[in-house]
Amino acid sequence: MRLIKRIATYLFLSVAAFISIFPFIWMVISMTNKSVDVTRGRLLPGTHFIENITTLFETQNIGTALTNSFIVAIITTILTLLIGSLAGYGFEIYRTKRKDVVFSILILSMMIPFAAIMIPLYRFFGQVSSVAPAFGIDTLAAVIMPTVITAFFIFFFRQNTKLFARDLVEAGRMDGLSELGIFFKIYVPTMKTTYAAAAIIAFMNSWNNYLWPLVVLQSPRNQTIPLLISNLGSGYSPDFGVIMTAIVIATLPTALVFFLMQKHFVAGMMGSVKG
Amino acid sequence: MKKTSLFLLLFGLLFFMAACSGEENAAGNEEENDTNASSDGEIIAWAWDQHFNIAALNVALEHYEDENFNLEIIENAQDDIVQRLNTGLSSGTMKGMPNIVLIEDQRAQSFLQSYPDAFYPIDDYFSTDDFADYKIAPTSYDGKQYGLPFDTGVTGLFYRTDLIEEAGYTHDDLVDITWGEFTEIAKDVTDKTGVAMISLDPNDLGILRVMMQTVGSWYTNPEGEITIANNDALREALEHYKTLLDNDSVKIVSDWSTFLASFNNGEVASVPSGNWIAPSISAEDSQNGLWKLAPIPRLEAAGAVNASNLGGSSWYVLNIDGKEAAAEFLGKTFGSNVDFYQDLVEEVGAIGTYKPASEGDAYTFENEYFNGQQIIYEFSQWMEDIPEVDYGLNTYGIEDILAAEVQNYLNGKSLDDVLADTQTQAENQFK
Repeated sequence: MRLIKRIATYLFLSVAAFISIFPFIWMVISMTNKSVDVTRGRLLPGTHFIENITTLFETQNIGTALTNSFIVAIITTILTLLIGSLAGYGFEIYRTKRKDVVFSILILSMMIPFAAIMIPLYRFFGQVSSVAPAFGIDTLAAVIMPTVITAFFIFFFRQNTKLFARDLVEAGRMDGLSELGIFFKIYVPTMKTTYAAAAIIAFMNSWNNYLWPLVVLQSPRNQTIPLLISNLGSGYSPDFGVIMTAIVIATLPTALVFFLMQKHFVAGMMGSVKG
Repeated sequence: MKKTSLFLLLFGLLFFMAACSGEENAAGNEEENDTNASSDGEIIAWAWDQHFNIAALNVALEHYEDENFNLEIIENAQDDIVQRLNTGLSSGTMKGMPNIVLIEDQRAQSFLQSYPDAFYPIDDYFSTDDFADYKIAPTSYDGKQYGLPFDTGVTGLFYRTDLIEEAGYTHDDLVDITWGEFTEIAKDVTDKTGVAMISLDPNDLGILRVMMQTVGSWYTNPEGEITIANNDALREALEHYKTLLDNDSVKIVSDWSTFLASFNNGEVASVPSGNWIAPSISAEDSQNGLWKLAPIPRLEAAGAVNASNLGGSSWYVLNIDGKEAAAEFLGKTFGSNVDFYQDLVEEVGAIGTYKPASEGDAYTFENEYFNGQQIIYEFSQWMEDIPEVDYGLNTYGIEDILAAEVQNYLNGKSLDDVLADTQTQAENQFK
């Protein structure tokens, strides 16, 4: 009886796992097929892999796009973690009633969709361009800046800070550490799992970000990966084999980041739920 | 500690790179106030599809003799161009905007009317008389010509000779027919061969527009009023649409890729669509020589012609520095060069709307894939007959409303109610 139950459980889990991973498998298979075969839904590996890869590298600047995406994603992740955790730490450790009000307002800002602030933001960066072109429209800096301060990460870090033993702060003060010293030397090392979870989310968000880079980046030399993939699908007769190849290449970094930090990610998310 | 400083160093380097990427193109920017597009005499063009529109621009460049002219072509998906233009133009800053941009004809009026000052009139750079009449209305506004007409979306009925013959029909049976006759042939073909006649995506009502334009009708009239409730052409088109579905003559597809697959897999006997679908049809090697082309069917109404349009776009010049050079380039190539149009057909397969071009040799090329038919020539002849239509501002918006109502119609709602309700909803949304 127990054995049957066990088999049923595994069977169910295997089917569920297969269903969730199937699109990815199909994508990898399609990478080796001709466009016509992809639209037909062919499920067997083909012989067009080299051709698809060559076409992709010949027609698109995928190297540039990858580099840009990496620069943007890495800087965004680091700044997001730094700012989000400093703010979250501050709201929780130096908590007062007034700060709670500020925090609530901050949380409200999560309700505003990005599309609503996009046009004023574009106008703003248009003006920045006249003063400091290095940070204006069509620069990676303009992609990064509006995305590094998010209410979500401040909220995320604040919730996790509730788990942080406050005594450690007191202990640090006794030992003569400055407030920033406490943050960097005690808080940061003990909250590793939270940082890992936040890093994965921030990296993925930034890597997949589409709308804002789309409007603010115009030159091909500043193109990021999602923009490149969007271009690939824009033709009247898109080459789906090449598109699949590009998508697989674009997916790998996020998958890699996730698998490297998976252990911490689960722990970090659990923490935020408990808090 | 070592780790920290190494990390800081790397991070600093990265940020420097991010800032530098802006520095390059911003270098010549300082002396200009409202554009960076042409800061170094370079003209920037946005277009979609490397193998079609961008290829066409490259052919045009080869035919343009001006050593000082520097064109940078930037590939953008069509939806991306719409998004970028809307954001850029409505923010009021012209920064980051291109000099030349490709806009689909059905969207053009919404840009021209919303941002009239953002575009540069190019009447002086070419003669509108040289172009197919139906292209002029969507590309002009308030008596000024803003767009230089580019490709035609002239439609045709691509069909599978083997399946049509199996059902007992010949090429002549498909020439100059009405959509009513087409639905009967479709029923026969499906009954006798078991293959659907056409494939349709329920979210894409392009076929209704194709039908309506054969009598010069649209969702709106030239005054901009929504004309759905009393639109006889739309009424007839919807009736044919339902008949085709009721007779099981239609294979339903869900998106563009399944649409392409439907004919590549031999699941449909015909494709009524724009000329630009031809390369997608001939991508399937195994069907070589099995396809032919007939004129698009017409509606019953008086004055209907066997010619219509689906898609097609035109070039626009933005009102920023470099506009004269950009307009000059377009005028000397797309606007007046017959040789260029010959190369355009041979190298890109794009059919322009420049009337004098259809005399050339490239147009009479016999396409083996389509049974040796001169499909380019046929298309260019039909192109001149396409009825002129004012596409108005909200073609796609109205169509979203209509698409939902069409489903109700197919489920049994009366046609009168469907049209009246669509009219009301559209008026509420777009007035």
